[in-house]
Amino acid sequence: MECGVHHANHYYGHSHVLARYCGLDDTDPPRLHGYLQHGWNIGDGMAPDHEYVPGVPKFVWSERVRRRAWSLGRRDVYVVGAPWAYLIAMEPEPADAPKREGTIWYPFHGWEGQHIIGSHDGLIAEIRDTETGPVTVCLYWQEFRDKRVRALYERAGFRVICHGYRGGWWKDLDPGFLYRQLAEQRRHSRVASNRLCSAIMYGTLAGCEPAVYGDPMQLEREKSAFGGQARIVREWADMHGASLDQSVARRVAVDELGADRLLPPAELRRLFGWPSLREDPDFELTGVLTR
Amino acid sequence: MTTLIGGEMLSWSDLDGTHGPAAASGDALRSLLSPPLGRTLVAGPHAPRLFEALPPEQVTVLVRGADDASALARPGLTVLCGSLEKLAAVPAYDTVVALDGLDRLLSAEADPHTWNETLDLLLAQLKPGGRLLLGVENLFGVHRLVALPPAPADSDWVVPDDHDPDRPAGHAGLLTRLTRLGLRVERDYAAYPALSSPSVLLSREILAEPTLAGALGAAVATAVRPPADVLADPVRLATGALRNGLATELAPAWVIVAELAPDPAAERGPGPAVELAPDPAVERALIGRPDAVIGGRAVSLPDTGLPRGRTLQDHLLAAAQRRDLPALRDLLSGWQSGPAAGVPAGQIVVTGPPAEMVALIPAGEPLKALRAFAATVIAGGFAHLWPIRGDEAELTAVLAGMTGRELEPADVPAGDAPPAHAVGDLLADRDRLTRELAEARAKHEWYESMLLRREAELKRVRQMNALLSATIPGKAATNLVGGLRAGKRAVRSVVRRTRGG
Repeated sequence: MECGVHHANHYYGHSHVLARYCGLDDTDPPRLHGYLQHGWNIGDGMAPDHEYVPGVPKFVWSERVRRRAWSLGRRDVYVVGAPWAYLIAMEPEPADAPKREGTIWYPFHGWEGQHIIGSHDGLIAEIRDTETGPVTVCLYWQEFRDKRVRALYERAGFRVICHGYRGGWWKDLDPGFLYRQLAEQRRHSRVASNRLCSAIMYGTLAGCEPAVYGDPMQLEREKSAFGGQARIVREWADMHGASLDQSVARRVAVDELGADRLLPPAELRRLFGWPSLREDPDFELTGVLTR
Repeated sequence: MTTLIGGEMLSWSDLDGTHGPAAASGDALRSLLSPPLGRTLVAGPHAPRLFEALPPEQVTVLVRGADDASALARPGLTVLCGSLEKLAAVPAYDTVVALDGLDRLLSAEADPHTWNETLDLLLAQLKPGGRLLLGVENLFGVHRLVALPPAPADSDWVVPDDHDPDRPAGHAGLLTRLTRLGLRVERDYAAYPALSSPSVLLSREILAEPTLAGALGAAVATAVRPPADVLADPVRLATGALRNGLATELAPAWVIVAELAPDPAAERGPGPAVELAPDPAVERALIGRPDAVIGGRAVSLPDTGLPRGRTLQDHLLAAAQRRDLPALRDLLSGWQSGPAAGVPAGQIVVTGPPAEMVALIPAGEPLKALRAFAATVIAGGFAHLWPIRGDEAELTAVLAGMTGRELEPADVPAGDAPPAHAVGDLLADRDRLTRELAEARAKHEWYESMLLRREAELKRVRQMNALLSATIPGKAATNLVGGLRAGKRAVRSVVRRTRGG
C-alpha cells in the first residue's frame, strides 16, 4: 500500500471510503496529499501527535473546526466533511431494512497509549436503569481483547461487539471498520455513550436517537486539551442527556460531520492529488461507481 | 475658414497625442453633443467625430496648434487657431463645449492663467442662459491613485496640481465653484476611464440606484482595465469605490452640463449688441441628456434596460470570503452549466429572484472565463481559501471540480497575457512564491526522512530474508523456486524451437 502524507489518514479505513466515493480502487487508496481529520474533535481537527509540514493541506470535517483551526494559526485548512458522511451518502438505508431495535452503547475508550480508569460496573448499572430495549455494547479492540472487561458486559446480559482495529503506520489497517459500524448502528434505534464522541455523531447521522449519560470516566494521565470534557459538556449541552431533542441533535451531527457540504468527487480528487477518472463518464453522472 | 487669433503654436498638435494626452473623443461624449446645440464653440482639442453631427456653419472650433487647425478645416466650419485669451470676450454662443478641460486652451505663448481665470475667459463666450459642457480631470481619481510616476510631457510647461487653491479640488468643490460663478449645474457625470476618452458616464442619479450596482460595476471594470503598468489594479479600486459610494469622488474625470445664469450681463458690465435669448430647442436637447452612457449606449432612468442585481463575481467573492463553500459550488455550477458559461463572472449580473444570470457581453470559451475568475481570485488575495498552490491553471481545475467537472490543469486553456502588471500584485506574487518555495522545501525534507525510514525497514526485511534463506526450510524453498524457474526456461526454449521449426 502507498502511504498517505500521514498514516492517520488511513485510520478506520477513512481514505478507503473516500477513494470509493471518488471512484478509485478502495482496496488500495492512493496517497492523500494532506492531513485528514480522523475523529470528532474540539480542537483544530488534527490529532495532537501529528507532525506538521508547512503548506500541506489539512482537511477537516466541519466549518466550525475550520474556523477554530484558523484562529489557532493553522492555514491551508479546507472543509471536506467526515468520511462517515460520504459513506452514508453512498450507502442509503434500504427501504425494506429490518426494524431497528435497542441501543448500541459505546463506553468511552482509551487508545493504544492511554488506558481507561473508571468503574465499568457503575456504568453497567446506569445503562440498565436507562435503556428499555436490548443493549449492544461496542468496545474498542483493546478492551474487547481484555477478557475481564468483556465478561463484565456480557454478564450484564449485553451483546458485546467490536468494530475492528483502527490500524496505524500503514499496518493492520481495517478498510471494513466503518462499514461494520454502519451496519451495526442501523440495527439499533438508539446510540449512546458516556462521552460525546465520533460514534454518537455517526449514530445520529445514521438515524439513531442519540443519548450521552453516565460516568464519563477518565484516561490515565488525561490532559484537558482545548478545555477537555468540561468544555464538551458546556459547549455541546444539547447533546447531553438520556433523552435529547432529535431535530437539534441531528442538526448538530450534520454540522459537526459536515454532512451538508460534501464535495463533488472531481473536487475531492483534485484537492487530495488523486488521479482523475476521465475514462469513466458514467461516474460523473451518478457520483458513485456500481461495483 | 481658419483664422489665426494670436498665440498659435506652430508645428504643434494636441489632437495627435504626441505632446500630451489624446484629445477628447469617444462615443460616450458624442452622445452629449447631439444637435441642436445652437451656435457652438468647441474649445480645445476634440476629435472631429465628436461634432461631425452638428451643422458646420453653427460650429466654431478653437485649437492652439497650427497643425490641428489645418487638420480640422472643412467647408462651412469656422476654425480659430490661437490662445483662448486672444478671443474677443463676446457672448456669442448658445453652447460652449470644453470636454477636454481647461488645461489646453492657452498656448505656450500666453502668460499662465489660473483655473478660475481660464474658466472666466470661456464663460465670457457664452450667452446668458447658454450652456457649458465642461470636462474636468479629477487629480485624485482612480487613474492617478494607481499611476506610476509620470514623465512630464511637452504640454506640461505648467502642470495642473491640486496644491493650487485656485483649482477646485474634489467633486463637491467643483460644483460649489461653478455655482459661485453663476452656473446652474443641470447634469454631472462621473467619467471613466479618463477625461480624454471616457467610455462610461454615470450621473449621480443612476449611481444612487443600488439595484444597478452590478451593471455599473461591470461597465466601470471594463472601462478601467489598465493598458500600462500600474501601482495597483484599477479594476479592483474602481469597483470598490463604486461599492462604497465613491464612484463620483474617485472618478478619473467629471463631465458637467451647466447653464449660465440668464442675466449675468449686469454683473459683467455692458454687453455687446448680440442676440441674447437662448434657443428653446437647445434647452430641451441639453436637459434631455441621458442618465448614463455605457459602451456607447445612452441609458435613462427609470427604464434603463440594464439588468438589476450584483455581478456574479461579487456573489462568488462574497461567498468565498464568508467561506460558504456550498453556496460557492452552487454559483459556480449554475454559471458553468448555463448559457453564460463563457462570459467572465464580472460581466454577468445575477437578477431575481428567481435567480437568473444575465450576460452583459457575448460568451466566449467557458474554460477561459473560469480561468479569468481564477486569476481574479489569485490577484485579489482570495486564493488562500483553497489549500493549493496559487496557480491559475491549478485553481481553474479545482473550480471546475467544484462544479463536478473533471479537469486537469494541463487542459486549462492559456490565459490572455495581461497587458499590464500591478506593482502591488507583483510584490504579493513574490511573497507567495517565497512561501510556496519554503513549503516545498519542508515537504521535500519530510519525504526524505520518510524515505530513509522506509529504506531502513527494507534493509531490515532483506536481512531477515537472507537469514531465513540460510535455514534448511529456506534453502529448500530457494531450491524449489530455482527448479521451477529452470523448468520454465526449458519449456520456453522448447516452445521457441517448435515455433521456429
